[in-house]
Amino acid sequence: MSEAQVSIFDGDRTDKRLKKVPVSKAWGMCLQNLKNRRGRYMLVFISIAVVVAFFVTTLTFQRMVGELRNDDDVHTRAVMQRAGLLLTDAAAEVKQRDRMIWLLILSGALAFVGVTNTMYMSVTERYREIGTLKCLGALDGFVVQLFIIESVLIGLVGSAIGAVLGLLLTLVQVGLTLEFGLVRGWVLFHGVWPGVPLAIIGGTVLTVLASIYPTVAAARMKPVDAMRVEV
Amino acid sequence: MSVTREIVRTHEVRKTYYMGSEEVHALQGVTTSVSAGEYVSIMGPSGSGKSTFFNMVGGLDKPTAGEVYIDEVDVSQLDVYELAWLRCRKIGYIFQTFNLIPVMNALENVSLPMVFAGKSSDECRDKAAELLGKVGLGDRLTHRPVEMSGGQQQRVAIARALANDPAIILADEPTGNLDLKTGQEIIALLTQLKEQDGVTIITATHDHKMLAASDRVVWFTDGKVIRVQNRDDLNIQVGTIDGED
Repeated sequence: MSEAQVSIFDGDRTDKRLKKVPVSKAWGMCLQNLKNRRGRYMLVFISIAVVVAFFVTTLTFQRMVGELRNDDDVHTRAVMQRAGLLLTDAAAEVKQRDRMIWLLILSGALAFVGVTNTMYMSVTERYREIGTLKCLGALDGFVVQLFIIESVLIGLVGSAIGAVLGLLLTLVQVGLTLEFGLVRGWVLFHGVWPGVPLAIIGGTVLTVLASIYPTVAAARMKPVDAMRVEV
Repeated sequence: MSVTREIVRTHEVRKTYYMGSEEVHALQGVTTSVSAGEYVSIMGPSGSGKSTFFNMVGGLDKPTAGEVYIDEVDVSQLDVYELAWLRCRKIGYIFQTFNLIPVMNALENVSLPMVFAGKSSDECRDKAAELLGKVGLGDRLTHRPVEMSGGQQQRVAIARALANDPAIILADEPTGNLDLKTGQEIIALLTQLKEQDGVTIITATHDHKMLAASDRVVWFTDGKVIRVQNRDDLNIQVGTIDGED
C-alpha cells in the first residue's frame, strides 16, 4: 500500500477493511436457513437419501450374501441353495462378482447424478440472494463458507437417512429371498462395515463437491451480475 | 452556504463491455459530483448507461478508465476487504425488486448488514427495530417478505439500507415494481429521510414522479451526461407534466 493511498483514507486504513464474520455466526445462519427452508429442502433430502439408500442396499445385500456363502452351517447352506445363491463353480462366481460390480457402478453413478443435480439447482436458484449478500458487505469467503456448512449438514443428514433406509431395505430383501434370522453377528457386521460409513462419507463429500462449483462461481461474480442471473 | 462535502465524485469515467466481438461503450467519459445531503436523480432511457453509472457509484462494478470517488475514496484502488467494507458501511442499496432474503423476517433482514459490520446481536436487534419503526413497520418486525405487500417490502429494504448509517443511499428504480400510490409513499419516505437525517440519496429512475423530490436531475443519453437540471429549473417542467395527468 503506497502512502498516497493511505492518505485518501484519512490516514487510517486499518479499520476500513471488513473483518471476517465469525464461523459461529455462519453456523447460526445456516441452521436458521435450513429450518426456514425445510419445506424446500425436504426434496433435496429425499433425493440424496433415495440414491444413497439404493447404493447402500445394493452393497450391503451383496456383501451379506458373500459372507453367507462362506458359512458351513447346514441350515444356512440349505436356505442359500433354495434361493439359488450358492455358487458351484468358479465361472459362476466370476459372473456373480461382475454382476455385483456392475450394479454398484450403476447405483454409484445414479447417486452422483442425483446428488450433483439437486445441489447444483438448489445453489443456482439462490444466485440473487448471493448477489444481495455481497451488496450488503458479505465477503466472497463468507458466502462460500455459508454454503459449504449448509451442504455438509444436508449431505450428512441426507446420507445418514439414506443409509438407514438402505439397510432396512436390505433386511427386507434378506427376509424375502432368504431368511431373516440369517442376518446376525459377523454377517451383519460384514454387510455394514465398511460400506455404510463409506456411503455416508461419500454422499456428504459428493454433496459438498456438487455445491462448491456453483457457489464459488456465484461468489466470484460481480454482485450485479449474480443478481441478474435468471434460473 | 457552508462548504459542501462532495460525497460522490466521478472523473472521466468510461466503461466498455464486450458482447462477443462487439465493443459496447456504455459510458463515454462521465464527470459529475454529488454533495452530502443531496437528492439526485439519474434519468435516461434504457441503454443510456444509467445503470452502468449507477453500479460504478455503488462499488458494484469498476470503470474501464477514469476514477470514482466515494467519500474521497477511489473505488478502483480498493481490495476485496475494503470494497466489502465500502458496500457494508458507506453505501445503502435499494433495489427495484426489493431483494430481501426470503427466509428471513423483517428484523433479520435489516440486521444483516450490521452482522457483516461485526456488531453484536443485541445491538443489531435494537437498531433494526428502531429503523423498522422509523419506516413505519414497527408492528411488522417478525413478518417474512412473503407476508408483506410490495410497499412494505420496499420499506424493509430502506430500513436495511440505513442499517450502518451509510454515506449514500443508492436506489435503483425503487418505485419500478410498485403501484402509483405506494410509489409516492416510498418517495415521500426517502424525501423525509433526506430532510430529517441528511441522508444523501441517488436514484436511477425513469419515473417522472421522482423528479419533483430531487434537488438535481442528471440526464443520460448514449453513455454521456447531456443535461443537469437543478430543482428550480425542474419545477416548471414538473408542473406541465402534472398538468397533463
